[in-house]
Amino acid sequence: MSSIGSFIVAIFALLGTPLFVVILAAGMLGFYFTDIPLSVIAIEIYRLIDTPLLLALPLFTFAGYLLAESKLSTRLVRLTQVFLGWMPGGLAVVSFVTCAFFTAFTGASGVTIVAVGALLYPALVEAGYKDKFSLGLVTTSGSLGLLLAPSLPLILYGVIVQQMDIPNPFTIQELFLAGILPALLMIVLLTFYSLWSNRDAEIVKGKFSKADAISAIKDARWEIPMPFIVLGGIYSGFFAVSEAAAVTAFYVLLVEVVIHREVPLRTLPSVIRDAMIMVGGILLILGVSLAFTNFLIDAEIPQLLFEWISIYVNDKITFLILLNIILLILGALLDIFSALVIMIPLIVPVALRFGIDPVHLGIIFLANMQIGYFTPPIGMNLFIASYRFNRSITELYRATIPFMLVLLFALMIITYVPSVSLFFLDR
Amino acid sequence: MLRYIHRFEDFALVGALITMLAIALMQIVLRNFFDSGVLWAETFSRVLVLWLAMLGAMVATREANHINIDVLSRYLSAIPLKIIRVSTSLASAAICGIASYYCYEFVQYEYEDATIAFAKVPNWICQAIIPFGFGVMSLRFIIHCFKFIRS
Repeated sequence: MSSIGSFIVAIFALLGTPLFVVILAAGMLGFYFTDIPLSVIAIEIYRLIDTPLLLALPLFTFAGYLLAESKLSTRLVRLTQVFLGWMPGGLAVVSFVTCAFFTAFTGASGVTIVAVGALLYPALVEAGYKDKFSLGLVTTSGSLGLLLAPSLPLILYGVIVQQMDIPNPFTIQELFLAGILPALLMIVLLTFYSLWSNRDAEIVKGKFSKADAISAIKDARWEIPMPFIVLGGIYSGFFAVSEAAAVTAFYVLLVEVVIHREVPLRTLPSVIRDAMIMVGGILLILGVSLAFTNFLIDAEIPQLLFEWISIYVNDKITFLILLNIILLILGALLDIFSALVIMIPLIVPVALRFGIDPVHLGIIFLANMQIGYFTPPIGMNLFIASYRFNRSITELYRATIPFMLVLLFALMIITYVPSVSLFFLDR
Repeated sequence: MLRYIHRFEDFALVGALITMLAIALMQIVLRNFFDSGVLWAETFSRVLVLWLAMLGAMVATREANHINIDVLSRYLSAIPLKIIRVSTSLASAAICGIASYYCYEFVQYEYEDATIAFAKVPNWICQAIIPFGFGVMSLRFIIHCFKFIRS
């Protein structure tokens, strides 16, 4: 009976039923068949208030939406171009760095391609980069930066795992530190690829001029302190993560609405509203998944899953290879938040039994998801780029594949060399 | 009438974020410059997160803007898509309706217990948004269902 129920729920999930409904239904079924009163759902959802960290989610999202609405992308491109544009492959590096920064703050919601990619793509072509290369670059860069603080998926991973009461817990600060080197590794490898791929092309290099540099800095003087406020505040322990989120939100509000006046006060409510619709949806999914996870743990599903996997897999490396394959497929099928909420409660307990560090696991998880964003056939960023640049989706498949191979190589290093993620940590 | 309800809903959603931001800033200022703080502020802003979740999801339902696994819509033609949309909306309405009913039951127990969440605010008021939100979403899924049938 219960397997028929699960089957129906799975079918409805694939038919496009809102994900919170699917998880809620799965949880209800579970409780029903184990004779637990369904009113427990309210208790589980109410547990949302037990996590002070969750405050950071709406506040950072609000800041990100506001930044996306402002002309930050133009200033950011200009600033990085002045300082990095003179290097060989300079503009490519500019694109990677700008996109990474932008995505870290706005979450990889596709806004990076629309806001930053749209500026960079014509600039790349004009500088002499091949069209296909440029198209692939901006599409791939749309999810670069997912591993950098304060990206939403990174925080969400931390929040969900913290709920699970694992034997070797970690702090969000540790997770933030862990993402830095893997993100850098990706940028460096992508840069090498860009140089190699365009070795025959005549690229116009930017020149460094002091006057330009000063004016670009002046232009972005209000936004330059932002990473320092966020990261400095968090790492120094001066702010808790949720406080840093509040300060960032307030600072961005001040800069973009009052100082730059790029977001008029009268459109502010609609910006907030759009941001909160997204956060609300994610938080509710998180809330109902708390109920579902509890059922999973009570029913010892992760335990069963581990026993089942250990029949076929008995070493860490094979498990990691399997994990990468599964996550890549999921990353292409599901959006990142759903994938996090559904897979973490299942995978984390199993991975811990194989001796994988939860911080390292988080980075592996998100690196896979990052690639999933532009994995054919339905990676979300492929569609956004296709729509934005008016190209056929098959053209984008071809353009992104070389970049995907580079990032898959980075993913392998990240997965099989834990110290890339754990270098700054004492774990 | 419906327009005013929507307006009010949006207003509450935006208000929740602004209140949350204001409280967090107030606490930072109080702690660092005056070495004090408001005792209930922490709990209150965490309850706001819950309210934000439910209100945001309510508005998302109104605009059919929920996260889902969107595999089929790109490949199916209009009529099978319509049938699917109608049935997923109906199923969603049913699930939200059941959730609303059982969450209401829970809030009723809490009302009888009359425990306090923070300051003088009892727990049941903080929790009331859960059955209310699910109820509203259930209604909205039914409305969507009719819209899909007519379209």
